[in-house]
Amino acid sequence: MIHRAKKRWWKEHWFYFTIPALIIYVWFMAFPLLNSMRLSFYTGTGLVPTEFVGLKNYVELFTNPLYKDRLVGALKNTLILFAICMGIQNTLGLMFANMLSGRLRGAAVYRTIIFLPATISVLVTGFLWKLILNPHWGAVNYLLVNLGFDQFYGYPWLGKPETAMIMVGLITAWQWVGIPTMIFLAGLQGISEDLLEAAAIDGASGTQIFWRIKLPLLTPVMGIVSILTFVGNFNAFDIVFAMTNARGAPEYSTDIMGTLFYRVGIAGEHPVAEPNMGIGASIATVIFFILFVGVSLWLISRERAAKNS
Amino acid sequence: MKRRRGLVVVLVLALLALPLAASAQTVELTLGSWRVDDVAQVQKLLDAFHAKHPNIRIKFTPTNPPDYNAVLRTQLTGGTGPDLMYVRSYKVGQDLYADGFLEPLTELLPILEENYTVGSLEAWSLDGVPFAVPFMAVSHGIYYNVDLFKKHNLEIPQTWEELLAVAEKLKAAGVIPFANGSKDEWDMNEIVFMNLLPNFIGGRDARLEYETGQVPFNDEKMVSAFQALQDLAPYLPVGQEGVSYYDAQQLFLLGRAAMFFGGSWDVAFFVASEPDFEWSVFATPAPEGRPQVVCFHPDAGLGLNAASPHKEAGLAFLKWVTSAEAAQILADEIPGFYPLNVNPIQIQSKHANDFYALSEGKEVDARFVWPVLQAGEPNGYLLTQTAALAVVKGSMTPQEAADYLQEGLEQWFEPAMKFKK
Repeated sequence: MIHRAKKRWWKEHWFYFTIPALIIYVWFMAFPLLNSMRLSFYTGTGLVPTEFVGLKNYVELFTNPLYKDRLVGALKNTLILFAICMGIQNTLGLMFANMLSGRLRGAAVYRTIIFLPATISVLVTGFLWKLILNPHWGAVNYLLVNLGFDQFYGYPWLGKPETAMIMVGLITAWQWVGIPTMIFLAGLQGISEDLLEAAAIDGASGTQIFWRIKLPLLTPVMGIVSILTFVGNFNAFDIVFAMTNARGAPEYSTDIMGTLFYRVGIAGEHPVAEPNMGIGASIATVIFFILFVGVSLWLISRERAAKNS
Repeated sequence: MKRRRGLVVVLVLALLALPLAASAQTVELTLGSWRVDDVAQVQKLLDAFHAKHPNIRIKFTPTNPPDYNAVLRTQLTGGTGPDLMYVRSYKVGQDLYADGFLEPLTELLPILEENYTVGSLEAWSLDGVPFAVPFMAVSHGIYYNVDLFKKHNLEIPQTWEELLAVAEKLKAAGVIPFANGSKDEWDMNEIVFMNLLPNFIGGRDARLEYETGQVPFNDEKMVSAFQALQDLAPYLPVGQEGVSYYDAQQLFLLGRAAMFFGGSWDVAFFVASEPDFEWSVFATPAPEGRPQVVCFHPDAGLGLNAASPHKEAGLAFLKWVTSAEAAQILADEIPGFYPLNVNPIQIQSKHANDFYALSEGKEVDARFVWPVLQAGEPNGYLLTQTAALAVVKGSMTPQEAADYLQEGLEQWFEPAMKFKK
């Protein structure tokens, strides 16, 4: 009797237990987010915009070429970053995970090596790669020239608009390849041994097993990895800040959403350096909506997939 | 919200009143700044002032340089600003004064006019009212490796043409003539282009001709300045697009590059780096037949918070700063940042003194875009930066670069509009 009453009490009052987490969430996540959206309707100098201007910041952002061109450029560069991370980082991650899950000698050592860069601070990574790619004392050009590729003598990898964003993308991929590797590895280990054995007995080759069994079963994991990459890239800022600068040098070719937001909303343009908080907040809101749409699409497709299966 | 703000004000006042009650004689003021590197040095200046005025103490509270403008404005808006503060020259300072945050220093005007040039005072005045005491300036020039010059039998170039000839000889000998690059973007504009510009267009009077609409921004002189930058491009390091300001300093310090377009603020770093060769500096030469003009840029002024409760003490400090004594302490303690005071000063650091000597007896002017061209969008600074980078890269001709500057400015800068095509 008492037992049952207790059970019912739990059923009706479970909500109270979420309160501590809810307070933290509301205070540190929901409130700042909504407040930032509110600020996007205001203008004024200093850190706290004071004058209400309605949608004027958005109109400026989408029509004034001073902001519009930068927004379009940043969107394009962020998509390049996303493409590199999906195409190289996540593909390599999947390959590494597949190799590590097999009977590979020294798998633990490789696992550590692959994951190691992810433990280094982005600022350190950026600084080291800046040295490695330096046109005058960088290891990359030294190696290429000694291999006979003289055209790379003094080639400024980070100074040319054609290569700078690709370099930043590749270094991001180099640093974070360990994360998708670990997630895919966990996914592969979750695949039942029975299935793989059955396939092997039926005479399927390693490649066939990978394409026909492992890959289809990893689809939900790939969704998670993609969405993590997507969110990470649209919020990225530090790697560009460390490797080129907050202006997305050269010629805004490495300007991504994060640096655009930082430059407009927080730091201001050198040398006057007076930020425009209102427009900054509207850029943040645009980033939020891009992420919101991306994540929603993923959630919807996952729901559908769950219903179908 | 209102009520809470009232409560905060009461609390702050109560906190301020506490030390006042404790020691009625001594007042303590704060001095805001972006010079986080100069804490110990500025303290010596403040100590010297304290020795003269034992009842006034000033506390130095610098902020991280890139955040200074935004932080200061927020503090001033919220009523928590420092009593005294470093004020940026021209636009940023003028905006603060126009918004009522800075006390007009009209009563100091006679002393200011006595101790500073019109050019220096202009940097911290609006409509003839001074709002800050001119404090520090930086100078521009070209550093050179004396040993390399000796080795290749080179003389200090007196004209722009000679400079290019020297560069050609160095290049032929396998030495990088100039260390400068453009990875950081601002350096090509601020350190190289602004440095050579006054030699091609002239000093303050010539700048005023542009600013008052007597000549367009794409006149012959401006084109010749961009032409000079284009002529310089082949003598920059290979892959200069990937050479940052720091890399350029290192190329010079390693002895791989013979010259470096730089400023007096580099002196302290170069001295501390102790390169194993002799180095010195010469003034950026003008083209044949034009007078040399040195880019001598007013950098920091000292202003008084209009809302400070200790205005009298603050004014006493500002008055003292205009003295020859304060100027001398500043010159001794912060090599490479020169007092703007017209009183003769002795600079102890040899290299800083060499640099200072370059501007003596010559016409000087601030960096071209600072005085008025940053007040609108597109900002004159960004225009010259984009144009300078494009010229060095070869994607714009000097004429196109000057046209780009003119076309950008005529979108908002009244005097430039009448030249609109």
